[in-house]
Order: sequence, then structure tokens, then C-alpha cells
Amino acid sequence: MPEFLMGNYFVQIDLAIIGQVVLLGFIGGTLSGFIGSGGAFFMTPGMMNIGVPGPVAVASNITHKFGKAMIGSREHGKMGHVDKKLAAFMLITAALGINLAVWVMKMMFEGSGGEGGEHGAGADLYISLVFSIVLAFVSISMIKDMIRSRKSADNKPSRKIVDFLGRLNLHPMINLPVADVKVSLWVILVCGLATGYLAGTIGVGGFIGVPAMIYVFGISSQVAAGTELYLAMFMGAYGALNFALQGMVDLRLTLLLYLGSLIGIHLGVYGTKVVREVFIRLVTALIIIICVVSRVIAIPVYLRKLGYVDFPAEMDTYFNTGSKALLYISGIGGMIMILFFVFKAYLQRRRVHASLVATRGKAAA
Amino acid sequence: MQIICVSRGTFAGGKKLAEALAAKLGSDCLSREEITDAATGAGIPVGKLEMNMLRRRPMSEQLAIDKERYKAFVTATLCERALKNNLVYHGRTGHLVLPGVTHVLRVRAIMDPEQRMQAAMQRLRLDREKAHKYIAEVDEDRRRWVRSLYNTDWHDPGSYDIVINLSHVNVENAATGLLSMAQLPEFQATPATLQTVSDLWLAARCRLAIGADQRTGDIDVKIRSDRGQISVTYLPRDASRAGLIPEVLSKIEGIGEVMCTMASTNVLWVQEQFNPEGESLDQILQVAGRWNAAVELVQLKEESDHAPARAEAEADTPSPAPAETGGILDDSVIERDSNLDQGMRKTRERLISAGRAGGYRLLTGGPQELLSNIDRTIAYNLVVVGDLCVTKGAAVSKRRTQEMVSFLSDSLRMPVIEAAEMKSQFMFGPAQLIKMLFLAAVTVVLLLLVMTNQETVLGFINQGTCFFTGCEEAGTSHRILSAVAVAVFVPVFAFCYGGFTRFLFRLLRFG
Repeated sequence: MPEFLMGNYFVQIDLAIIGQVVLLGFIGGTLSGFIGSGGAFFMTPGMMNIGVPGPVAVASNITHKFGKAMIGSREHGKMGHVDKKLAAFMLITAALGINLAVWVMKMMFEGSGGEGGEHGAGADLYISLVFSIVLAFVSISMIKDMIRSRKSADNKPSRKIVDFLGRLNLHPMINLPVADVKVSLWVILVCGLATGYLAGTIGVGGFIGVPAMIYVFGISSQVAAGTELYLAMFMGAYGALNFALQGMVDLRLTLLLYLGSLIGIHLGVYGTKVVREVFIRLVTALIIIICVVSRVIAIPVYLRKLGYVDFPAEMDTYFNTGSKALLYISGIGGMIMILFFVFKAYLQRRRVHASLVATRGKAAA
Repeated sequence: MQIICVSRGTFAGGKKLAEALAAKLGSDCLSREEITDAATGAGIPVGKLEMNMLRRRPMSEQLAIDKERYKAFVTATLCERALKNNLVYHGRTGHLVLPGVTHVLRVRAIMDPEQRMQAAMQRLRLDREKAHKYIAEVDEDRRRWVRSLYNTDWHDPGSYDIVINLSHVNVENAATGLLSMAQLPEFQATPATLQTVSDLWLAARCRLAIGADQRTGDIDVKIRSDRGQISVTYLPRDASRAGLIPEVLSKIEGIGEVMCTMASTNVLWVQEQFNPEGESLDQILQVAGRWNAAVELVQLKEESDHAPARAEAEADTPSPAPAETGGILDDSVIERDSNLDQGMRKTRERLISAGRAGGYRLLTGGPQELLSNIDRTIAYNLVVVGDLCVTKGAAVSKRRTQEMVSFLSDSLRMPVIEAAEMKSQFMFGPAQLIKMLFLAAVTVVLLLLVMTNQETVLGFINQGTCFFTGCEEAGTSHRILSAVAVAVFVPVFAFCYGGFTRFLFRLLRFG
């Protein structure tokens, strides 16, 4: 376990921790650039595995996300992929969602140490449970879709529930000119609330926000990604301010995450241009599901700390090591796959110089 | 050869109008439904495509390819019929199916909502409310379909030559009036427009042949034809199978040379006069190489100065429609472009030899004419606007160029820059090196400030909060101050380090 500063809640930074956090940022950035949203699903538990308390990991990550989203949404804005009107409506309830998440987290953190449990274990358990449930749902849906689409020779996602939601015609309807759709205000507000709550709880808002925009609102994936980043900029700023007001942000971790993530993002985005969509979805689903298993393995430790289960404290090391190993396997494995395709394409670009010429006669011959 | 395309909504009388027109013209009358049935029979899942759009689902890769196959099927069918006889076509995208064919009379038939509702109530035996809902839903579906297939607003009157309200004019009179209009010189076929139809037909048949072959069916390709010379662009991921394309196309009648270019994206370069030795071309070639992009040239001349030249060019043949794309051309191909000026020709040659040629167009007019000729379904990564109106002096040229950049930026969902900005935006030179080093220095300083004063920084952030210290009273003003400090410091760091990484990747010519 690392040493701590300031009441045992901010980890003492040494070279090993610097390396690990920068690596987490790099892997998270690469995945984020490749998958199009998130990255936090890897970075938040990764920091928790290093020994950073859950709320500090979430706070530092959401603060990191704020600056990253600011840069990303600027680039998307140039392409006309940002629907500011939609973002403004979602922001109303997203802010509420973040507030609610921060309040719940604070309650968990403060309340968990009171009954013999270790301080902070309740919040860690809560974050781990939300993380596992939400991302297990996302990854299982993706894998189910892929299996189904293989059978039906069509790889579009199944959207029974969202089709139903999409047909709801609850007034008032909001016309979104950039996204080119009309959506019920109530649907927007509910999605905003869910996105904000999850962003505030586990730092992962994009996994809900982007699919919601695509499947419930019916807007294109580019506009969804751009609008989510624009929204994430404000949510990140709001979340960062909220967490900073509570004194939870570890600025050092935020900066170290940037060092890796802003390099990784460039590589991940390049990867999306050279890899097939079905492969992107497969890699995404596998990475997320391994991350979920990794977090589930760590849950008994928090349960023991809270006194719900009883086993020797020495066994924590095994659970933590197993959790950490799986997390790194998922992240590093995914990153290696992505980088393999990125560099292959980069080198190929230099070798294959574009042109095949064939006259009809040559081709026939 | 007369072509009239009627774009219609549900219960708006467009079908009757088209049939009356065909009867008066003595031509074939082709409906969208007939083509859809034929396309389905040919194995294109049109029903699945429509359902996907109705349910607002995102396009899968395979459906996106099927969409292109369907568009090619429609184009091939219409062109084949139009080359044999006069043709009246009616469907929701009637005005868009033959892009670049200037002699098509594009008609939009509308009717007052009340009359449409009455027609729906009678025909479908619906009550008023349900009829209203039905028409609104069908119109919305059709709007979505047009947007998805052609990335254009179905309701935009600028897409039509005439919009006719059949509530005000009866079908027979409307047909008579339209027939008179169709006799105007603007709607008569010329050798140039016939060539465009032939090229569209050939390109569409090529697209269908690639889609029908098992080995190449799932390759995402864009095809253009210029008098039998076929240009194919494909994505890098399909590079291993690109060699099969010429073989598949060799069976098609009327085909000349096949050129295949690998391109992930496109750059559109608009300018009045191209200079093959200019700095802009070198810069655009560099960017295109880095992005793996094909560069499409548009030579845009002012109408007042070049109206006679336009007529001459039309009579001479090469159409304003998309010409060739990519690859290495032999001398005979280059000689065909004798109507191009020296600068344009040499610029094309350089693009071709670099494997970055993405076709060319010659346009006359202003921003609106340019906008209406840009294919909205092509994902341009960048639009570069070079000097326009150069003969009118530097000041006018600068102003017109900037106006064009502003206009295109407002109208298109893609980055638009002046050619003069290429260097600062995308190149890496001494100025960029200095900026990169400066940003790196600021990043290092900020990082060191935090890392060498960890306890001070954390103390500042945490002081006054009860979260970790368990203090009784929170210092509200300090909490706000520390939160604001975090909210300011983090974006500044992200901006500096983000700028540094951007320059670094530009230096490495990556992405």
C-alpha cells in the first residue's frame, strides 16, 4: 500500500506511482480516443487499485475529463458536430445528477466509518457496485448484439427498449436543428439526469449519454460524440468545482493523467480510421467486461472493511492483486491491440502509395 | 431527350401530375415504387434500409454499403431509361437522383394540408386526427430518408426548378404548364449533359457490379466516371482486396481505364487559378499524405467574366459533374483535358503523380453555385479556399475569399480555412517549433510547481473543507477560492499540454 499525505487520503507520490498514473492516463486516453467515450471506466478503478480512495479517484478523474472535453469539443465544434441546444437542455438535469451523486458519495464516505468499518470503504463499495452494474449491462448488451447480428448477418444493434422510448411523443417536443431531430423535453431531461449522476458517481457519463443520444434521440453518432464532449466540458467543470469545494480533487493525479491521456487520445482516434466498426465494438465490450470483473473481485475487501463479511485482512492483498492484474490485462491488452493496428496502418500508409492502375485489357488478362 | 423528375409527398397529387405529364410528353412514367421493387428483387435490402431509418437506428457498415448500392440502382435505372426515351420519374428524391444533369426539370408537387388530409381520410378511412398524424409521420419519414440518402433538406425550395401547388392549379393545367416550361432551352439535352448521364450510368453500373460480386461486395467504394475512365476510391482497410476491383469491372461494357485510389477522407480545394509551383499545393499535398486523403479541385470563376467560357465548355464536353479520382494517368488521359488551363492541368498532374487526385470541377458563379455543387454525402475533412477574383485586385480578392470562407463555414458542417492559413493550422515549421517548445516549457513549469510543492498545493485545496480534516467550520471563502483555482489551473494546463501534443503529432506526421 502506498504512503499517504494529509490525513491519509492523498497518496504519497513516488516514481512508481507517477509511472502507473501516467500509464493509466495513456491507456485510458487510447481507449477513449478509440471507443469514442469514457476511458474513465479504466482510469477510476485503476487509481483505486493503486490505493487512491474512490472519491478522490473520481474527483481527480472528472477534473481531468473537464480539460480533455474542452479540447475535444472544440475540435468537434469545427466539424459542426455539436448541438448546443441539446447540450443546454441536458445540462439542466445533468447538473442536478452530479449534485445528487456528490451528495450521495459524501454521505457514503462520511457514514461508512461510523460502525466499526474503515473510513471510506462504504464509498468505495458504492462506487464499485454502481460501476459493475452499469458497465456489466453495457458490455453484455454489446456482446448480445454482436452474437445476434452474426446470426442475422446484420451488425446493427438491437434497440427494443429505446425504440419504444423513441416513439414516445410526450410534449413539449424540442426541435434540435444541428442534430436534425425533434425530441420530447422529458426524455432529454431524464437522460441528462442519468448522464450527470453516473458522471458524478463513477466519472463515466459518455457510456450513457452517447447511446442515449444515438438510440433514444435518433441523432448521428458524430453529433452524439461531439455533443457529449461539449456537455462533458460543462459537467466536468461543474463536477470539478463541486468536488473541489469538498476538497476531494488531487491536482497531482489530474496532471499526471493528462500526461498520458492526451498522447493516447491522438493514437486512439487514428485507430478508429483504420479499424472496422465491428472490431471496435468487440474490443470495447471485452475491455469493459474484464474491467467489471476486476472491480467485482475487489468488492469483498470493501465488504470486509465494513464488517459485512469476515476473512483475514491479509487476504486483501490477493483480492487487490487479482483485481489489479485483470484491470491491467484489459487495459494493456486493449491498448496493444489498438496500437498494433495504428502502427500497422501508419507504416502501410508509407508503403502503399495509393494507386492501382489497370486498363481494361490488363484487368481482363 | 427530356427528363422530368417530380418530387412528391404523400397525398400531394404528385403521382397524378407525373402520369399526366408522361401522357402529354408521350414518355415512360417511372415511379419510385417500381424501382424499389426491382432493387429488392436484385438483392438490395431496401425494406431494411427504410426500417432502419424509420426507427432512427444508426447505419451499420453493411447498411451504409447497401444504401450506396440502392442509390446506384436508382441512378442506373433512370439513366438507362432516360438514354432511350423521354422520361418522367416521380418519387420522394426525384430532384436529387441525377446530380449534375443540368437539363432535368426538377418539380416539387405540393398541396394544401387540408386537402391532403381529406384525401387521406377518404382513401384510408381514417378520422381527422389520425389522418393528420399519418401525414405528419410519413412526411417526417420522407424528410429523414432524403437527409440520410443525400444529406439535403427535402423542403428546401432551392433544390427545385419549380414548386407547384396542386390545390391552386388542377393536374391537367399544371402538366400543360410544366410541359411548356420543359421546352425552354435550359431543359434541353446537350452533348455535355448527355455525357453526364452516360457517366452517371456507367459509374452506377460499376458500383452495382462491385456490390454484386461476393469477393468485393462489402468493400466501401466511391466511383466516378469521366467518359469511360473509371475512378474508384476505397478505404485503407480494404487495400488487400482492391486489386480485385479492376477485374470485377472489366466485364462491364463501355469501360475504359480503371484507376483505384486509397483514401480515408477528402480535401476540397476551391480556387480561381491554380499554381502548380505554389506553396499551397505543397502544403495540401503534405496534409493529404498525412491524412491519406484525396484532393478534389474546384476551379471557381466569377459568372460575369466567364459566361461565354461556360457555354463553350458545355458544348465541348467535360461536364461540371465529378470527374476522375486518383491514381496515375497516362498521357492520353491528360490530353483529354484540353479545356483546362495550364495551372489546373499541371496541378492535377502533380496530384495524380502523388496518388492524391480526387477529381475536379469547373464552376462558374458565386458561393451559392459552389454550395449547390458540393456533394453533401462526401465526408470532407477540410475545405481549403484559395484566392478568388484575383483579376479584381488584391483587396477585392482578399475580401471575396474571406466572404467565401465565412459562407461555407456557416453552411457546411466541416472545417473551412483559407489557403493562407494552411501553414499555421497544419504545417510544422520554425514558428510551430517555437510554439511547441514554449508550450512544453509552460507545461513543465506548471507540473514542477505542483509536484515540488505537493503538500502546499494539497493543503490549499483541502484547507477549509471538512471532508478529510473533520473540522467543525468550513472556510467558505477559502473553499470557493481553491475550487476556482482548480477550475482555472486545470484547463490552462490541458491547453498548454494539449497544444504541445498536437504540435508533436504534427511533427511526426501522424493522424
